[in-house]
Amino acid sequence: MTELTQTKPGATAEENVYRGVYRVLLAGMFISSALFAVGLGLALVRPEHYPLGADWVRSHYHFASIWQGLRTFDPFTLMLVATALLILTPVLRVIVSIWAFAVDHDWKYVVVTSIVFVVIVLSVVLSHFGLK
Amino acid sequence: MEYSLHFVLALLGAAGCAGFFGALLGVGGGVFIVPVMVLIFKLPIKVAVAASIVSVIATSNAGGSSYVDQRITNLKLAMFLEIATTIGALTGALLAIYLQQWIMLIIFAVMLAYMSYAAYATRNVDDRKIASGEFGNAKQDRLSRYLALQGSYHDVAANRDVEYVINGAPIGATISYLAGMASGLLGVGGGVLKVSAMNGYMNVPMKVAVGTSKLMIGVTAAVSSILFFLAGLIHFSVVAPVALGTTIGATIGTMVMNRLHSSKLKWIFTLLMAYLAYGMLAKGLALRFGIHLPSLGA
Repeated sequence: MTELTQTKPGATAEENVYRGVYRVLLAGMFISSALFAVGLGLALVRPEHYPLGADWVRSHYHFASIWQGLRTFDPFTLMLVATALLILTPVLRVIVSIWAFAVDHDWKYVVVTSIVFVVIVLSVVLSHFGLK
Repeated sequence: MEYSLHFVLALLGAAGCAGFFGALLGVGGGVFIVPVMVLIFKLPIKVAVAASIVSVIATSNAGGSSYVDQRITNLKLAMFLEIATTIGALTGALLAIYLQQWIMLIIFAVMLAYMSYAAYATRNVDDRKIASGEFGNAKQDRLSRYLALQGSYHDVAANRDVEYVINGAPIGATISYLAGMASGLLGVGGGVLKVSAMNGYMNVPMKVAVGTSKLMIGVTAAVSSILFFLAGLIHFSVVAPVALGTTIGATIGTMVMNRLHSSKLKWIFTLLMAYLAYGMLAKGLALRFGIHLPSLGA
C-alpha cells in the first residue's frame, strides 16, 4: 500500500489532506445519491403534484416535519435531506482540510482554508438575516 | 408540476449527458444542464439555476474525488483560489435572487459565447507546452512562491510526468472571483472560467486545471446553494434526477478524460458552447422584446 502511494506523482507533504478530502467526497457522493435514488423511486410509485413556489418549499423546513417525513418515507423529505447532505459535503471537506493541514503543521494553509470556511459561515448568516 | 415517469427519465438522461461532458471538460455540467432545463423542459431559469447548482456539487464530489485520488488536483492552488470563488459565489447568488429572468438569460448567453471563443483560441497550446517541457520553466510570481504553488502530475495521453510552476496568482484570483460570481448567478459551477484562467494565465496544464477546478466547484456551489436553499428556491424533486444523472455521467466522463488529448476536448467544447449561447440569447430576446430568432433545434 505504501509503495502504491509513493508511486503517485505529487504525493508528498500533503498526503493527509489528499486522503481526507478523497474520503469525505466519496462518502458524501454515495450517501446523497442513495437517498436521491430511494426518494425518486418512492415519488414515482406514489405520484404527487409538487408546486414550484418558494413558500411551499420553505414550509417543510422544520425539524418536526422532517422527522415525520423520514419516519413515513415521504419522498419529498428524503430528497430534501439528500440535498442538504450534498450541500454539506464540500463544507465538511473544508473542515477536514483545515484539520489535515494543522496535523502537517502547515499553518499558512490552515489560515487560507479557514478563510474559505468563514465565507461559508457568512453565507449562512446572511441568508438567515437578509432573505425574508 | 406533474411528476411523471416520462419527465423524470428524460431529465435523468439529459443530466447524465451533461455530467459526462462536464467531466470531460472540467465544467460542472451546469453550463449544459441549465440551458437544457430552460430550452427543452421549459422550467423557469431560477428553478433551473437552483437545481443545477446543487447538481454541480454532485459532479464536483464525483469528478473531484477521482482527480484527487489520481493526484492530478493541486490542492494548495484549489484552497487559495477558493477564497476568491466563494466570495464571488456569495455575490452572484444574492444577485440571482433579485435579478429579472431575461437579464439572466442574456448574461448566460454572453458567458457561453466567450467560453466558446476562449476554448477555440487556446486549443493547441497544451499539447505543445507538454511536449517542450515549457510548463516547468515559467517564472513564478511572489505570491505563488510564498504559497508554494507548484506541482507535477502524470499525463497518460502524453505518457510522461509533467512538472509545472505557477505564476499570475493575482490575476488568477481575480478571474476566480468572477467565476464564483458566475457560479452563484447562473448555476454553472464557473469551471469554464476557472479552467481558462488557470490554463491561460497561471501556467497550469489543462488537466491539472480541470482537476483543481472540479474540486473548487464543490465549495463554491455550496455557498450559493446555501443561499438558494434557505430562500426556498431549490426544488428537491427537480434536483433529485438532475443530481443523480450528473453524478453517473460525471463518474464515467472522469474515467475517459485523462486518456484524451486536450485539443480534441477543446473542439467539442467550442461547438457546444456556441450552440447553447445562441439558444439562451434567443430565449432572452423573445422573453423581453418579443424578437423570435430561428430556433436551431432547441
